[in-house]
Amino acid sequence: MPSLDDRIARFKEIGVLAISRHDFSKEGLVLSAVVATYNLLDIAKELFNDGFTLLDVSTLEAAEGFLVTYHFDNMSAPCRIAIRVLAPTDKPTVPSLYPIFQGAEWHERESFDFFGVRFIGNPNLVPLLLPDDFSGPPPLRKSSENVAPLSALGLFGTVETAVPSWENIIAPKTKDA
Amino acid sequence: MDRLNFINPFGVRYQPDMVSGDFYTKNFAKGAAENTIILNLGPQHPSTHGVLRVIVELDGEYVIRAEPVLGYLHRMHDKMGEVKTPWQFLPNMGRVDYLHPIAWNWAHVGAVEMLAGISVPERAEYLRVISCELNRISSHLVWWGAFVMDLGGVTPILYAFEEREKINDILQIVTGSRLTMSYFRFGGVCADADDRFLKLIEQFIPYLRKRLKMYKALVTDNVILRRRLENVGPMGLDICQRYGATGPILRAAGLAKDTRRDIPYGVYSKFAFPIPSGPTDDCYGRYLVRLREIETSLLIIEQAISSLPDGPIVIPKAPKPTFKLPAGESYFAVEGARGQVAVHLVSDGGKTPYRVKLRAPGFSNLSLFAEAARGTLLADAIAILGSLDLVIPEVDR
Repeated sequence: MPSLDDRIARFKEIGVLAISRHDFSKEGLVLSAVVATYNLLDIAKELFNDGFTLLDVSTLEAAEGFLVTYHFDNMSAPCRIAIRVLAPTDKPTVPSLYPIFQGAEWHERESFDFFGVRFIGNPNLVPLLLPDDFSGPPPLRKSSENVAPLSALGLFGTVETAVPSWENIIAPKTKDA
Repeated sequence: MDRLNFINPFGVRYQPDMVSGDFYTKNFAKGAAENTIILNLGPQHPSTHGVLRVIVELDGEYVIRAEPVLGYLHRMHDKMGEVKTPWQFLPNMGRVDYLHPIAWNWAHVGAVEMLAGISVPERAEYLRVISCELNRISSHLVWWGAFVMDLGGVTPILYAFEEREKINDILQIVTGSRLTMSYFRFGGVCADADDRFLKLIEQFIPYLRKRLKMYKALVTDNVILRRRLENVGPMGLDICQRYGATGPILRAAGLAKDTRRDIPYGVYSKFAFPIPSGPTDDCYGRYLVRLREIETSLLIIEQAISSLPDGPIVIPKAPKPTFKLPAGESYFAVEGARGQVAVHLVSDGGKTPYRVKLRAPGFSNLSLFAEAARGTLLADAIAILGSLDLVIPEVDR
């Protein structure tokens, strides 16, 4: 089991958009990383080889798009890690983790039900919890006046490093009038 | 080819468009092999534990493929969490998992306390442990009775319910209800333990230990039961990792992983208790792990009762119903009877949380059924389903 610093270094090697440390007693996470969709499977593979298991997929809608959060925990030594992917609101597609974690199938179908996020590579992307003839927008979509920007949600803990485009999303520079 | 020429016992020739059934059956039938039968189990079949539906493809008595169909008890707790304040959402927690509601109480209250930085008085922490463990025992007892009933033994569930009634009588004193308990409050619990509560528990512990001996003699060592369960439905660490299985399933696979020990919450770190694991990863192993967990819970309750401190049961400035969560996120996990129960809470500082995600252990545990049931006899598949200890309202949420 590599140390936290080693893991951060390894994640950076694979490619992350932002990586942050968390206070476990306050947030229930050790580490979180925002990754690009094309790096998601590599990160998941890395976690799988290190003995991590997928706890759940927790999606939320923000002004910037859908933030899909995968919670992982290590099988032998407790270490909860969140991997996040941002999918645009107008065409939300995210690669499926099914090839690595087969349990992801249902979690992804749940997000597909509630938010309409499409997971490319999921073998059976049909309604899971909602009826097959459910009409209307996905039930957890928010109306435009209720959508908050990601920076207002305090999701990113102590940011270790972030690419320039994400620095602005995590903490937008306030304009001095 | 053969499927097309198949003539059923009523003399009707099979035709592809005769695949009857709803959307899910047709969707499932797309991948069917030749000369197989597609059978719909449930959603009301008694051995499916509530309103679960499983579609299976059978070759004779053997399961080729299986697919659980969920959603018959879906109530959209995630949405209710977003439109209600944390206080208003509290009673929902007793309804997610009706067998172990106190674990869900704890997960939600714990997530709110973590995010808002609320501390809990020590006496309340002890009462939380006592009520949660009592509730875990009653959950395991119902599973035990229902599981043996699945396998054809109807009598044990009557014994299990006798014990469960006793636990309900005890828990009723503090929680005020017998099923959908909502005992926890932010910063404490809602009612203090009185002498009667403690006395009943003290009587109950030796009573249940005696009964567990009888369970072992009557059921656990029964040769019919063992033949039904041994070497049926092995689930090793690999499948547990790929599907995110937790709780007794993972522990039966040999890994002593328990949130109470790994990430101690409340005052669990003050108690000495073993984490039962193994010895086998089959249905019988999962059966043994759960029965041993009942004894573990008794051990914890015994220690908690003997060292129960005096003091307040709720912090003086406990959150009022109008309190607002600060912006931020928290992920709080507890060990439920079925595995890791967790609540992921995200708040933007408004009146209601921005997002509430409930992590139900049964959801992940059931998702591995399709793979575990492949190639087994249909009767064994029912045993595997029962050994997963499903509570469908929790799976569907």
